[in-house]
Amino acid sequence: MTDHTVTREARRDAAIDVLDLHKYFGDNEVLKGIDFHVDNGEVVCVIGPSGSGKSTLLRCVNLLEEPTSGQIFVEGIEITDPDIDVDAVRSRIGMVFQQFNLFPHLSVLRNLTIAQQKVRKRDKGDSEEVARRNLDRVGLAEKEDAYPAHLSGGQMQRVAIARALSMDPDMMLFDEPTSALDPELVGDVLAVMKDLASEGMTMMVVTHEMGFAREVGDKLVFMDGGIIVEEGLPAEVLANPRHERTQEFLAKVL
Amino acid sequence: MAMSRRRRAQVSRGIQYGILAILAVVVALAADWTSLAENFADPEIVAGMFPEVLSTALKNTALYTACGFIFGLGLGVVLALMRLSPVGPYRWLATTFIEFFRGLPALVVFIALSVGVPTAFPGREVPGDTLGIATLALGLVGGAYMAETIRAGIQAVPKGQMEAARSLGMSQSRAMVSIVVPQAFRIILPPLTNELILLTKDSSLVYLLGYTTASIELTSFGREVLNQEKSMTPLIVISFCYLLITVPLSIIVRRMEARAGKAR
Repeated sequence: MTDHTVTREARRDAAIDVLDLHKYFGDNEVLKGIDFHVDNGEVVCVIGPSGSGKSTLLRCVNLLEEPTSGQIFVEGIEITDPDIDVDAVRSRIGMVFQQFNLFPHLSVLRNLTIAQQKVRKRDKGDSEEVARRNLDRVGLAEKEDAYPAHLSGGQMQRVAIARALSMDPDMMLFDEPTSALDPELVGDVLAVMKDLASEGMTMMVVTHEMGFAREVGDKLVFMDGGIIVEEGLPAEVLANPRHERTQEFLAKVL
Repeated sequence: MAMSRRRRAQVSRGIQYGILAILAVVVALAADWTSLAENFADPEIVAGMFPEVLSTALKNTALYTACGFIFGLGLGVVLALMRLSPVGPYRWLATTFIEFFRGLPALVVFIALSVGVPTAFPGREVPGDTLGIATLALGLVGGAYMAETIRAGIQAVPKGQMEAARSLGMSQSRAMVSIVVPQAFRIILPPLTNELILLTKDSSLVYLLGYTTASIELTSFGREVLNQEKSMTPLIVISFCYLLITVPLSIIVRRMEARAGKAR
């Protein structure tokens, strides 16, 4: 159906490199040949209207969605290779969801230690030490015994970030991390993400927070209709969008 | 005369209570209490049933039920996971098993295991005597019922839970065991309790296997005394014994639910 054969060499030194990625849900083509990369230590923000495929792209990077065709390289290793150990790849990529997805039956501390113990094989003492360090990092050290139901949305999302960080990931994916939050709670979560970025974490962030993208992002990607319409420095794209679709979108959200 | 909405509700509730009280009084007056007491609450017969009714009959009923339930629960989890498996033959096998054992009366399963197995495999029988057959029969029937409940529970856990677990590097089976199934059990605690209570009563079918003074359970014990004494009293006694199992069970589960509710 698609004849998009302008293949290039994969960038082995990039954190994430996506080559000619296509994704169908049934007959519906949601990604129509994505070519895109994230360098180490870079913060890339992906914006676009709903249904543009930006979340699907993010979810393809840790294979929560299986690409229909194309290649994805993470730190030079092709994860779209059918022989790859998907679990090992995922354990090095932190993921933060719009709906937090904390484990409601486990305490905050246990939320942070369970994967360390079951996947990283760390013992109780080590994993709790790592967990407490990361809880402290997101400013929730005093909440380790609480259950998720007793936290505010903003606190839940910060715990979710700490949970992902406890696996010592090489990069972090954020899928609209502040979209489910009350406006007054958004700031705390963005502050944690800003700290992370300043520490040099590689981040790919699907977001509607243009302020965050402008201030923290190294690159801004605008997607619409399953393709990347425009990408560049955030300040430039936001101030002088070249494409008509980008202009229309920004006119609506800014 | 205008009555407030609240006042009207109070009056209507008062009338309901009144009717209930009148009914209770009428039934109480009409009943022949002396004959009732003679036939249903003969203190001598009650005294004669102790301590065996507790130390043997109640203990055996609880034992058969507990063993059957534990086996059935394990079987139910396996069947539920098979039902949800992407592998076709697993699904078909589990579906067939569930449909078959859910459709059969427990009575038939008991007879099949006690009579059918030695007939089909001469010289062999289900190991473990009465307890072995009771565990197997109650487990097969209970497991088939529980499998569908457990499957529904697993499916009721939000998809994001599995995704979050997988994104942390857990394998599919690890995520099921550590994250999804524990949450599913919280959801299905009430229907699972129902199943345990049903099994408690189904355990009376053990009488089909024949019994000794050591292996007798509540219903058979009550029937024995009933035949000897020509009185309905033993039925009242064993009824209370069944409630002695089921009511505390319900209370424990309600406590567990309240605790789980806090964590939700």
